[in-house]
Amino acid sequence: MTAPDEQEPESVGLVRPYVITNGREIADGDRFELVTLITAAPDQQQKSRLDPEKRSLVELCEGGYLSVAEIAGHMRLPIGVVKVLLSDLAEGGHILTRAPVPAAQLTDIQVLQEVLDGLQARFG
Amino acid sequence: MSQYLQDPALWGLVVGAPLAATVIYRGRKSNAKLRLEKTELESRHTELEDTFSDAVEEARLRAEDATKTALKSAMRTLQGLANEQQLAISKVQGKYGDQQFLQDLLEIDHMNSQFGRRAQSVSVLCDGWLGRQRTVASVYDVARSAKGRIRHFTRVEIRSQTNFAVISQVVEPVALVLAELLDNATSYSAPETTIDINIRTVPKGVCVIIDDAGVGMNEEEKSRAARLLSGEHPVSVTELGNPPQFGFAVIGVLAARYGFSVSVDTASPYGGVRAVVLLPQELLTSMPEPQNAPVPETPAAMPEPEEAGETAGGLPKRRRRAPIAIVPETDAADASNRARSSEETASIMGAFQRGTQSGRSADPSREGFEVQ
Repeated sequence: MTAPDEQEPESVGLVRPYVITNGREIADGDRFELVTLITAAPDQQQKSRLDPEKRSLVELCEGGYLSVAEIAGHMRLPIGVVKVLLSDLAEGGHILTRAPVPAAQLTDIQVLQEVLDGLQARFG
Repeated sequence: MSQYLQDPALWGLVVGAPLAATVIYRGRKSNAKLRLEKTELESRHTELEDTFSDAVEEARLRAEDATKTALKSAMRTLQGLANEQQLAISKVQGKYGDQQFLQDLLEIDHMNSQFGRRAQSVSVLCDGWLGRQRTVASVYDVARSAKGRIRHFTRVEIRSQTNFAVISQVVEPVALVLAELLDNATSYSAPETTIDINIRTVPKGVCVIIDDAGVGMNEEEKSRAARLLSGEHPVSVTELGNPPQFGFAVIGVLAARYGFSVSVDTASPYGGVRAVVLLPQELLTSMPEPQNAPVPETPAAMPEPEEAGETAGGLPKRRRRAPIAIVPETDAADASNRARSSEETASIMGAFQRGTQSGRSADPSREGFEVQ
């Protein structure tokens, strides 16, 4: 099965990404940001009926939260393709999504100010 | 008595009889000789005819051989280019995976796969190789790979999965055979109909069954197909017709070469053709462990073999079963990045940075709205 010469040692995946998405349009990505966090839904039925990629994606997220960018890196799939898989899985109730963490920290300035005020009132 | 002696007729008879006998004898002799010559001539004629047809056949074979050799080497170049292009497309897909034009890239990828398949088919008919090395793959993945090599692949639905895998040597041939069958199935059925693939375990191995809802085949077409699919008769490139009908010829050659069987003589439940590929036990194995099989890159990217052993041993499990929440740990992300190539890491980090930047600059009130 090996050609006598000029055999390309590096070979690409057997199943191409467009087959994994089954030719579906890649959404604009307003639902899943790169930093959106994903975890597997707690009760998984019929996981064995999923495509291999979707199954391994769910398994990947079983241990905690992973960002979309990380999932794409681990699965070695283009991010757009991962987003298609994610939206399928979210529809089927296999995964849960959560807002990225850093956004919540930006609003804390008022609390900090109050703490500072309190400290100054007590020790200052 | 004496009166007879006077009779000239008697003398005539006396003289004439030996003469006639001689004449008859000579005639017979020459006749026999002529006959002999005739048969000799005849045999020489057939000999000549044989030599002539042999010479013609030989010339034809030589021409066929020359055609095949030329085509084969031309196809090898095309196959190499298709593979190279696929590799390049894959890289770009990974690099710009979050961009709008990924859709276009996927379409280009699809076209390239079809192009590669055509080159492979011609190469097979010219006794060439498929020119791609594969690792063990599940029958399901082989079927999906085949699906990706035809134009209207979205019409193909794979209904069942199995735990069986195909040994590495036949991954590519079986994928090509299935692709040719699917190509036939989609070409000879209405565009809105679907093509079903069922994978069934049978005592002799695994059957991949392809059902279309097309027009079916008549007896003549069936017998032509059976003759080509048997793989017993050598296929001539010059006999493929115009436009050339590769499909069954390619399938027959591959089935004979790798030892599996293909039949198309039954009707599908939808009135079209049912094609059955029977993969015997010798070509099957159990499912490969890692599904994504990203293994080959890991050792190459490692600087130290000792460390590689440790990390490669620990990492895949950790990646797979216990991914850690992204927020606190930086070292875990670091460690998993080591297994990637530097380009990949760069592209992922870049994408991540762009993402966080856009997240920071975005209106905070929108954040909660976007996510469920």
